[in-house]
Amino acid sequence: MDFNLNEEQLMIKDAARKFLAKECPSQFVRAMAEDEKGYTDQIWQGMAELGWMSLLIPEEYGGFGGNFLDLMTLIAEMGYAALPGPFFSSVVLGGLTVMEAGSEVQKKEILPGLATGERMLSLAWTETDGSYAPEAVRLTADREGEEYVLSGTKLFVPDAHVADILITVARTGGKPTDISLLLVEAKSPGLAIAPLVTMGGDKQFEVSFDRVKVPRTNLLGSNNGGWPVLQKILLMAAVAKSAEMMGGTERIMELVLPWTKERVQFGRPIGSFQAIQHHCADMVIYKDTLTYMVYQASWRMTAGLPFEKEASMCKAWVSDAYRKFVALGHQVLGGLGFMEEHDLGLYFKRAKAAELFFGDPDFHRELVARQMGL
Amino acid sequence: MEFEFKPEETKILGEVRAFIKAEATPDMLEESLSIGYCYGGKLGREFIKKFAANGWLVPSWPAQYGGLGASAVLTFAIRDEMAYHGVPSIFVAAHMAGPTIMHVGSDEMKKEWLLPIARGEVEFALGYTEPQAGSDLSNVTLRAVDKGDHFLLNGQKTFNTHSHVADYHWLACRTDPDVKKHRGMSMMIVDLKSPGITIRPMITLAGWQTNEVYYDDVVVPKKNLVGEMNKGFYYLMAALDFERMFPAGGYRRIFEQVVDHVKKTVVNGQPLSKNPLVRQKLAQIAIELEAGKMLYYSLAHILDSGQIPNYQASMQKAFATETAQRLTQTCMEVLGLHGQLKSGSKWVPLAGRVEHQHRWSVVESIYAGTNEIQRNIMALRGLGLPAA
Repeated sequence: MDFNLNEEQLMIKDAARKFLAKECPSQFVRAMAEDEKGYTDQIWQGMAELGWMSLLIPEEYGGFGGNFLDLMTLIAEMGYAALPGPFFSSVVLGGLTVMEAGSEVQKKEILPGLATGERMLSLAWTETDGSYAPEAVRLTADREGEEYVLSGTKLFVPDAHVADILITVARTGGKPTDISLLLVEAKSPGLAIAPLVTMGGDKQFEVSFDRVKVPRTNLLGSNNGGWPVLQKILLMAAVAKSAEMMGGTERIMELVLPWTKERVQFGRPIGSFQAIQHHCADMVIYKDTLTYMVYQASWRMTAGLPFEKEASMCKAWVSDAYRKFVALGHQVLGGLGFMEEHDLGLYFKRAKAAELFFGDPDFHRELVARQMGL
Repeated sequence: MEFEFKPEETKILGEVRAFIKAEATPDMLEESLSIGYCYGGKLGREFIKKFAANGWLVPSWPAQYGGLGASAVLTFAIRDEMAYHGVPSIFVAAHMAGPTIMHVGSDEMKKEWLLPIARGEVEFALGYTEPQAGSDLSNVTLRAVDKGDHFLLNGQKTFNTHSHVADYHWLACRTDPDVKKHRGMSMMIVDLKSPGITIRPMITLAGWQTNEVYYDDVVVPKKNLVGEMNKGFYYLMAALDFERMFPAGGYRRIFEQVVDHVKKTVVNGQPLSKNPLVRQKLAQIAIELEAGKMLYYSLAHILDSGQIPNYQASMQKAFATETAQRLTQTCMEVLGLHGQLKSGSKWVPLAGRVEHQHRWSVVESIYAGTNEIQRNIMALRGLGLPAA
């Protein structure tokens, strides 16, 4: 067994840490939460030049050919810096889905642009139920000649305002899992987006489809064959989201620990009080356990082993542990951390959103229960 | 990164499993359970001596001392396997005293003790706790006076769990009362059959025995001093970092039995396993066991990397024992009214294992350093927070 990142991953981590320290200080994070677009072309360009968008994409499609663990390492740094922007929606949700389900032609068409950062994708899955269950997919894609005609509403679609293509999850049959994936040009007539105002300031949208016409050739994967793809993508996204949270723990420790040594009450640094020490010890327990849960699930994906159980265990554990970790950080920092100007709040808000995305702990515990044969 | 065992580790684990299945008799397992999985019972000794002949009792020790020179990962995995199957799995000599002897003992002491320990021929009992030295271990007062050719010992130990089944006491005693407390302690090996030693049973909520041990003018040979005089406290603290592990195997076994039980048990017209709350609770425990497994083997990996764990041994103890308590609580909740029935009762589920574990689990967060002490260590040593 080996619980460490390898040399290459340490290099990825180090380079990302440096770049984001310069380009993504917390003032930037705050400004982007207010900004309509939510990121700048400059930072996106910088990320592209460092090869971030191409990291996971195979070499034959203009990518770097890295593995899932490499990507986790990078995403953890984005979590550390609370980086805003469409990387997750475009590269993780979009890129992985195309790589998983796309035909050779589609991959050749889409992935090279994704790798350079010129093309952006997002995944339009959840609807008004706010559920990841197949029954909750009601947006219809009816076949009319050589086209699919899409009607319905998607909710919580990340970064739809900048995506060129929305991979749209559509109902194409009567059985709950009769679901297909369609590549929909974001500028298609009949497609309208409206921003949702989110706690974390990340950009999510309601996307309505009013008889949006999509050529048959834009079917990603097979007709009614979308559900197994989504099940896999959900788990990969859940682990990637967990990696983002993992990165957050590193930053929060840096916010909390110095304070325990500097802040004096009753004539002693508060870190000398056992109540504070035990909170900090519990933070370490959460941090280390969640880190290894992310590593294990990512490693299994990278190694090509079955990962269903470990991925769901990861998302359930990390979501809960990270929330509790942040809460302990708040408790140690006292009123200071409750101030809007303190950075802990940025992570607090993201922690909740991350917990809810791609299946909350209850959702993943149920998947674990199924894996246990219950 | 790698989260699976190496092929050679898997192979040995398979052999260990097969050996246990073939050699662990119901009587031996019953005896093991009756003394809290401590090593020292008659049947357990017979079993472990055969087991140890394969080098499995101390796999990470070098071959010259009876080990296999194997990884800490394998050592940890074998311990977990032993705990899972309920064979004796708590060893003071092999897992606590032995490594300290190896690190600080004289050549003569190594020669005298390490091979017999590795073969399972002798067992020690921890002699740390005293009435006024619990979490504050530096407060040990059992006095050892240097009488020239021997030490003369007087005083009292308490909560010494192994001492009625072990051969020797792994004893922390006061050798200098005039210096700062932690600078005047020494470690000694004392024959528990020595004249002047009286062992009195203390019965726990779990029905298992721990002991008070009284020393009344007990003579201990000079050669039984471990390492240097007055360094005992430091040896004892350092020993907490080496080969200190809390396998969850025993609890995992019970959990598996409960998972199996809920699939077969119909309540309100449906299998208990179909109750969404039951599913959530059991899945949560499975997840915590998995997280605990990560901490367990990451500790081994630190040792295999040639590093000394810092706060991680304390973290693993705290997490494993609290998981054990939550696991037990969940199992009791799932069993409902039946959970309170004791072994032998007509309607008892799972032979009363869960009811017994419920009583035993109380001590998990207390023994071997309370979990509060573990968190102090994590904060002070791991995070560098200021001491009080």
